[in-house]
Amino acid sequence: MKAQDTLLYLDGVSVSFDGFRAINNLSLVLQAGEMRAIIGPNGAGKTTMMDIITGKTKPDAGDVYFNGEVDLTRHDEAEIALLGIGRKFQKPTVFESHTVEDNLVLALSGPRSAFSALFHKQSANEAERIEDILYTIRLNGKRDWLAANLSHGQKQWLEIGMLLAQDPKLLLVDEPVAGMTDAETAETAKLLREIAKTRSVLVVEHDMHFVRELDVKVTCLHEGSVLAEGSLDFVSNDQRVIEVYLGR
Amino acid sequence: MRLNRLLSVFILMLGFCCHIAQSNAQTVDDATLRPLVQALAGDNFENTTKAISDLVKTGDPRVSKILDALSAGDLYVAKADKTVFLGKRDGSDYAATDPLTGTKLDPVPRSSAEKIKVNNRLRRDIAAAIGGLTLMSDNIAERRSAAEAILKTRDPESIPLLDQAIAAEKDAGVKVLMQQAKAAAVLNSDAADDVKIAAITEVSAGNSRDALGLLTPLENVQGPVGEAAKAAIDSINTKLAFWNAIQNVVYGLSLGSVLLLAAIGLAITFGVMGVINMAHGEMVMIGAYTTFVVQQIIRTSAPGLFDYSLLIALPAAFLVSGGIGVVIERGIIRFLYGRPLETLLATWGISLVLQQAIRSWFGASNVQVGNPSWMAGSFDLGLITLTWSRLWIIVFALSVFAILQLVLKKTMLGLRMRAVTQNRRMASSMGIRTPWVDALTFGLGSGIAGIAGVALSQIDNVSPNLGQGYIIDSFMVVVFGGVGNLWGTLVGAMSLGIANKFLEPFAGAVLGKIVVLVLIILFIQKRPRGLFALKGRAIEA
Amino acid sequence: MITQWFFTHVDRRGGIAIALLVAIAFLVPLSNLLLPETSPLHIPTYLVSLIGKYLTYALLAVALDLVWGFCGILSLGHGAFFALGGYAMGMYLMRQIGPRGVYADPVLPDFMVFLNWKELPWFWHGFDNFWFAALMVVLVPGALAFGFGWLAFRSRVTGVYLSIITQALTYALLLAFFRNDMGFGGNNGLTDFKDILGFNIQAGTTRSMLFAATALFLALAVFVSSFIIRSKLGKVLVGVRDAESRMRFLGYRVDRYKLFVWTISAMMAGIAGALYVPQVGIINPSEFEPANSIEAVIWVAVGGRGTIIGPIIGAVLVNFGKTYFTAAFPEIWLFALGALFIIVTLFLPKGILGLYGSWRTKLADRAARKKDSAPPPVAAENVHLPEPQAAE
Repeated sequence: MKAQDTLLYLDGVSVSFDGFRAINNLSLVLQAGEMRAIIGPNGAGKTTMMDIITGKTKPDAGDVYFNGEVDLTRHDEAEIALLGIGRKFQKPTVFESHTVEDNLVLALSGPRSAFSALFHKQSANEAERIEDILYTIRLNGKRDWLAANLSHGQKQWLEIGMLLAQDPKLLLVDEPVAGMTDAETAETAKLLREIAKTRSVLVVEHDMHFVRELDVKVTCLHEGSVLAEGSLDFVSNDQRVIEVYLGR
Repeated sequence: MRLNRLLSVFILMLGFCCHIAQSNAQTVDDATLRPLVQALAGDNFENTTKAISDLVKTGDPRVSKILDALSAGDLYVAKADKTVFLGKRDGSDYAATDPLTGTKLDPVPRSSAEKIKVNNRLRRDIAAAIGGLTLMSDNIAERRSAAEAILKTRDPESIPLLDQAIAAEKDAGVKVLMQQAKAAAVLNSDAADDVKIAAITEVSAGNSRDALGLLTPLENVQGPVGEAAKAAIDSINTKLAFWNAIQNVVYGLSLGSVLLLAAIGLAITFGVMGVINMAHGEMVMIGAYTTFVVQQIIRTSAPGLFDYSLLIALPAAFLVSGGIGVVIERGIIRFLYGRPLETLLATWGISLVLQQAIRSWFGASNVQVGNPSWMAGSFDLGLITLTWSRLWIIVFALSVFAILQLVLKKTMLGLRMRAVTQNRRMASSMGIRTPWVDALTFGLGSGIAGIAGVALSQIDNVSPNLGQGYIIDSFMVVVFGGVGNLWGTLVGAMSLGIANKFLEPFAGAVLGKIVVLVLIILFIQKRPRGLFALKGRAIEA
Repeated sequence: MITQWFFTHVDRRGGIAIALLVAIAFLVPLSNLLLPETSPLHIPTYLVSLIGKYLTYALLAVALDLVWGFCGILSLGHGAFFALGGYAMGMYLMRQIGPRGVYADPVLPDFMVFLNWKELPWFWHGFDNFWFAALMVVLVPGALAFGFGWLAFRSRVTGVYLSIITQALTYALLLAFFRNDMGFGGNNGLTDFKDILGFNIQAGTTRSMLFAATALFLALAVFVSSFIIRSKLGKVLVGVRDAESRMRFLGYRVDRYKLFVWTISAMMAGIAGALYVPQVGIINPSEFEPANSIEAVIWVAVGGRGTIIGPIIGAVLVNFGKTYFTAAFPEIWLFALGALFIIVTLFLPKGILGLYGSWRTKLADRAARKKDSAPPPVAAENVHLPEPQAAE
């Protein structure tokens, strides 16, 4: 397959840490507008894969292309973020000593230079967008709260809100429902499906109910490479996947 | 002049003949010797010269001492009975001893004795005579020093003597020295070119610095001798450069060992536990003061044990510094885990308190820590001279390193330590009492700092500020070598030590140090995790 | 109009601090110069200089807090920037001595004559001009900070590593400035100053003016800090402090933000050093001692890092304590300072202002609970320092 016409294109990617192969000849393709769920047992290389896509880790070998033409291995985190790839961490990472609103202000797409930040004044357009996002993530009543005072689920949502504020083409979402109640989980699935209408999303998740609820193509990783790919039913009936999950 | 020279050589030759003839019957009885000694106090220099030659002929080992005394002007003759004695000024008297037997005689009033006069020519004769005597002496050390003396004077006249001595010499080392001395004398003579070239080869095989001195004047001589000399000088310079490099390496290793000692405890507390202990230097300092206290106790109660004082101080320093370390960990540091910058500040506070405590207790000035006898002195290695303390510190640092590796790899404590640092929660759920492992690990690091203090007390001033001088260097070593890796600390310490010593000749000690610091700062920018960095996701946390 | 602009960039506390500093900038010199010595309100000249010295320390603390409190960069080498600013000013003051030195050389300072130097080293040229020297006061520390920071932040040296290499930096400078060959007076440093801008440096009037200048510069620094912190840039800095890699994944070039604030901070420290030197009359290599830089950190910690005026309170309090203790109980001072480090880190991580802040929050909480309402939005002036969290 060619890198053209794809949003995200990984081919033959490998990386090892001190002899341990975290990613081994991994190939993965994501089309524009697609939502994909990544599953796999611990140590399958899910987080490392995200590190490679977002420029945190440089692969030892292989191609990583965004939008069919941009070689992601040549860019650092900030540049990749500006290209339009947003990332949500496994552990909710928001700026705890900032208010909910300030968290979104920081994430809002726009100039990123230090000088423009020093003399930045919020425009009406920006205020409107923040208002929208606050509404989407159901935190409009708490805009002046310090992020530290939010509940765990609210922090997860705030982080998703920050991703939206970044206005990315591709969202990488790492275990968004970890630690959420069932009701929150369902809400989150709804939110992600909503988001996926306009953007591409790559979700890493353990929670199979949640993955089923997303109702998208599933890729199962194992020991750093793709084990199976297809609908959730197809993947979960694959003999090797069952072996990996249930043990030998 | 010339005649005199010849005469003296003749005397020497005579001396030799006798010497060789009676090489098994060295001593001559006092009755024979006495008149000869008396004859030294002759009326004129002529007679004295003859008396010297007579004495030399006896080949008696006491002769050289008497001639020495004569040359130094310590030989007197009593005015009354013309007895010759060794005198030493003592108030208005001379304290007198018999030159032959060495027995004490009655003091002689200064007015009633006269010094036996010697002039410069006589002195030269005596020197040559002594040289000759000792060249054939029974004592190997005397023969060696005689040969060395000729190597310095390069007197061509001594060539025949040397030939004889070389023929009689049994000891290989001294023989080589004599051959060198002869070669040096040949170069100084007007011998034929081929003889001189052979001599050049001979000379350049020996001590290179002396050889350079011998050969340099010949460098500009036209013809084959000059060329041979030039070639020999070149090869000697290469050899010197090589040994110079060896010396730098050895000095660098010993500086590196000091750095290793200072840093290795830190490699545990900082490298393994991730605790920034700014009071680490003070642990070293307390180790040094423990050594001082141990020596004080030994001095007053068991002076005979002084040579073992360091051995006693080692466990003492380990326990004192280690104990203080455990107290610090339990009392302060454990509340600050996960907050490295706060730990840094709190331990800096501890370092100030410890410094002031020692200052209040022992005073602000240096205390004297003695060196046991086995640390003193030096030895030769090739063309360089090394002190024993330098060697011991290398040996000691490497032993501490090896023992520490063993403790970490082979003991239960080491296993638990590694378990706790790798996965604290897992370790604690397996029943390891992680708080105690933390405390003991910190105690181990601090105790090793104390041991380092024992070693540093031997080479540095022991004052309350001792630790301050090492803390930055220690951190540099650990960071340079790579955190969490003891081998990195070893390599880091040694390479920094050697780099320092190689920079010193060009830049001077202080500038060399600055250059090294700046290089490390630049290096850390390039490889933020040090030489032997751990890679992977785990370290990011 | 101007006041409105002012108050959009400065909070209430910052405003009060600026007002107070401007007030003492005028009142202290007036009291010293106009009131008779018998008046209870008269401030003697030695005290003017002493407080002036404290205020230069406060300026250094404000600079340090800008990087540590707001951006999480713990510098153990800010004393180096302070000392470099001080040396730049000292070089100007040296050149002003002219032929009045012991050796009466019209150009060369005494120590150069003593070292048998024949001409002025190239880097001493221009320092006879005050404005050139003033420029160097900010440019030299700024350039060093920029170069150092450019290397360090780009290669992502953070946390303790950065602290340790900043310490090594000031240590290397300490060793360098001790050398006579460096051309900065070696061990003895620069001293025996005569006048500044033509005024006798010993005179009470000059001292009062130096004091006023220090207070005004400190006020300016408070304003600049507030301006930075309340801008979006300030929010980015706090974000970097709390979750650096999150900031990167949002598309911010974290290194450039750090470099900006680091360089500004070093320049402030340089100005502090330049104001310090004429008031104490000497600058020598001991200002580069790593211990000095760490002491400055404790001023910030005591007052409350991450606040604008905490460092000022901390610097003045600790140094007042130092002056008192070193005179009254010299044995005790290091014990006290050491204990202060330990107590502040263990029990007062947010400093005096943080203590005050959490006391106010507690009161507000209690009031809120009475009214049975949701947890209140926290007042913007409150200090909040979460544990720095790794991105993953």
